[in-house]
Amino acid sequence: MTICVTGIGIISSIGVGRQATLDSLLTGRCNIAPIAHFKTIHSDLVSAEVVQSNEQLIELLGGGLKEPLTRTALLGMVALDQAYKEARVEEQRPQRVAFVSGTTVGGMDKSEQFYLDFLNNDSKNQYIASHDCGRCSEMIADYCGHFDIITTISTACSSAANAVIFGANLLKTGRTDMAIVGGSECITKFHLNGFNTLRILDKEPCRPFDASRAGLNLGEGAAYLVLESEASALKRGVEPLCKLSGYANFCDAHHQTASSEDGEGAFLAMSGALQNSGLQPEDIDYINAHGTGTVNNDLSEGIAISRLFSKRGIPPVSSTKSFTGHTTSASGSIEAVISILSIQHGFIPANLRFRNKIEELSFVPSSDIGLKVDVNNVLTNSFGFGGNDTTLIFSKYKKE
Amino acid sequence: MGVYIKSSAQISIQNPLCNDWAVSPIIYREPYARAVECDYKKYINPIAARRMGKILKRAIAVSSSALSICGAAVPDAIITGTGLGCIENTEKFLSAMTMEGEEFLQPAYFINSTHNTISSQIAIFLKCHGYNNTFVQRGISFESALLDALMLFETGTVNTALVEGHDEMTQGYFKLLDKLDYWRKEADGKGAVAGETAVGFFLSKEEDTVKIEGTEILHTPSMDDMSRSLLKMCSDAGISLKDIDAVMVGANTDEANDAVYEAFSETLFHGVPCLWWKHIFGESFTSAAFGMYVADYILRNRVVPSAMVWKNSVKSAEQIRKILIYNHFNNKEHSLILLSRW
Repeated sequence: MTICVTGIGIISSIGVGRQATLDSLLTGRCNIAPIAHFKTIHSDLVSAEVVQSNEQLIELLGGGLKEPLTRTALLGMVALDQAYKEARVEEQRPQRVAFVSGTTVGGMDKSEQFYLDFLNNDSKNQYIASHDCGRCSEMIADYCGHFDIITTISTACSSAANAVIFGANLLKTGRTDMAIVGGSECITKFHLNGFNTLRILDKEPCRPFDASRAGLNLGEGAAYLVLESEASALKRGVEPLCKLSGYANFCDAHHQTASSEDGEGAFLAMSGALQNSGLQPEDIDYINAHGTGTVNNDLSEGIAISRLFSKRGIPPVSSTKSFTGHTTSASGSIEAVISILSIQHGFIPANLRFRNKIEELSFVPSSDIGLKVDVNNVLTNSFGFGGNDTTLIFSKYKKE
Repeated sequence: MGVYIKSSAQISIQNPLCNDWAVSPIIYREPYARAVECDYKKYINPIAARRMGKILKRAIAVSSSALSICGAAVPDAIITGTGLGCIENTEKFLSAMTMEGEEFLQPAYFINSTHNTISSQIAIFLKCHGYNNTFVQRGISFESALLDALMLFETGTVNTALVEGHDEMTQGYFKLLDKLDYWRKEADGKGAVAGETAVGFFLSKEEDTVKIEGTEILHTPSMDDMSRSLLKMCSDAGISLKDIDAVMVGANTDEANDAVYEAFSETLFHGVPCLWWKHIFGESFTSAAFGMYVADYILRNRVVPSAMVWKNSVKSAEQIRKILIYNHFNNKEHSLILLSRW
């Protein structure tokens, strides 16, 4: 079965919607600054927040939304609404539609704000029910329309990429006719502090694949992709944006928060996705790396890329986390959308702020802003805590 | 192709890693109880165990136990359902951050707070590089994990899989959910008893006594949607609705919750024996894993423990060959699992 993407939606620190995102990618514009939406003692740690406040997000959504609302749900609604409309789901509705979303923080933004109220009084009880991740997906789904199946995946920073795999399998096994997949995540004080205790946050804008890299910047956002079979897209009269041609998930099985030295999990995921797609390493025109900017990830991932690609020449590699920050559970689908934009508009998204090569690696990332190249196949990596390694491959759609 | 349950293991508010519950279940008067722990030294080196929360120790124990029962070493996939993940560590980190501020936080609670710590720790413990995933969809988290596994079997991605359900219930979180009227009230003695879930199933393509015919998850379905889904599942299994010998429902004595099962069983299974499990294993986001655990026990051992009958008595346990498990959460997310004795 040929699986096509027929709609995309995105919100991140570099813009709301595909056009704003594309403009930022082509001009090298990013928004990495001190935390503005909540109070923290870590104002020295820069982050990539979505510019809009919750109130402004509600406005974007046309207003009239009832509390309890969480920021992850609001970001998700904005992105899902765009994808839903682009694929004309409402007008040309297939029989069975699934919504599969990735998140790890769920409603933590409200839980951390109202934790003392939860314990000491009954004034904020409605946010107790909006804490868990599954509730977040229900809110996003119910805002947009009717879904026959919804479920939520939480594998930390690979959540959204795993949602893509689950959705594709729903289509392949004939369980649904369409699957809208991706993830949503806002920055919370909880995981800002969590990552800070692990000492992997950079005080400067992050420098993925640079010798001087010193950690990641947290980002936030949401992105969703509408997946359906080619037959379904043609029947509904919706033009495919590209194909999802391969995917794989493997486990590094090494450490809860660190990647193995030889990047075994990453190597298995990339090899598995290539095998699943029927493509060869030399067919890949661009690698959208996980590239968090931590010392450990970029070296481990870089070694895995070298192991798999160096024989025939390593294609351009970049980490677009240098634009969006690390959007954690949403990063898999945010970077999938960026990969799709690179296919559609024929360019390599830049790896910003690169200066010096990592000594142990045989390649440097692609740092030219708006580099025009014909892109047929993009491989995108998402790696989560616990060595949860997922690779997706998107390809240019050509009518067969 | 079929998918079969090769083995299973559980830790719960009943005695651990055994089936004492079938003969002499522990009855709880209070709505809050924690799981009966097993001797973890048998499964985990004590130094490693000290760093692990309860939910992780239980996960390692049920995984090891399920694998050793059928003599398997490493599965092709590890897939977990968990409504709340490692909530004990989440609470500890949140509480420290709220009470003591952001200055003095330690990484340990954070590292072990993410939902997928469970699946990852099992993978690290078993040195399993295979597919690894975690589902967190409230009351159908386990069924989502099961569905993921069945799709991997169908697409030829795996030959075996470890599918698990895990949830812990801390005193703190119990109290928060009590504010939302989740639990049994003393006044009328009606409502759910909280439970903790740690269940592991080793699934394989290799034939065994109990076959998983199918599973479905449904979002806000009408009775028509339910019935259509059920008929599709039956036809895929080559059976008709009347071949289903018993229905296991997620009733828990909460009136609004149970009314959904009443309507379902009256409409589609009039007079068919209905069984339940949540009064014995308690309610949690992944309690449905016990539904499958109990149904597997009944089919495998050809016995229906009398405590498990909800309504319409069972004439002969011998004749129960197909069991449908029906579970819902807040009447929003619904699930069906069909098992048969093969």
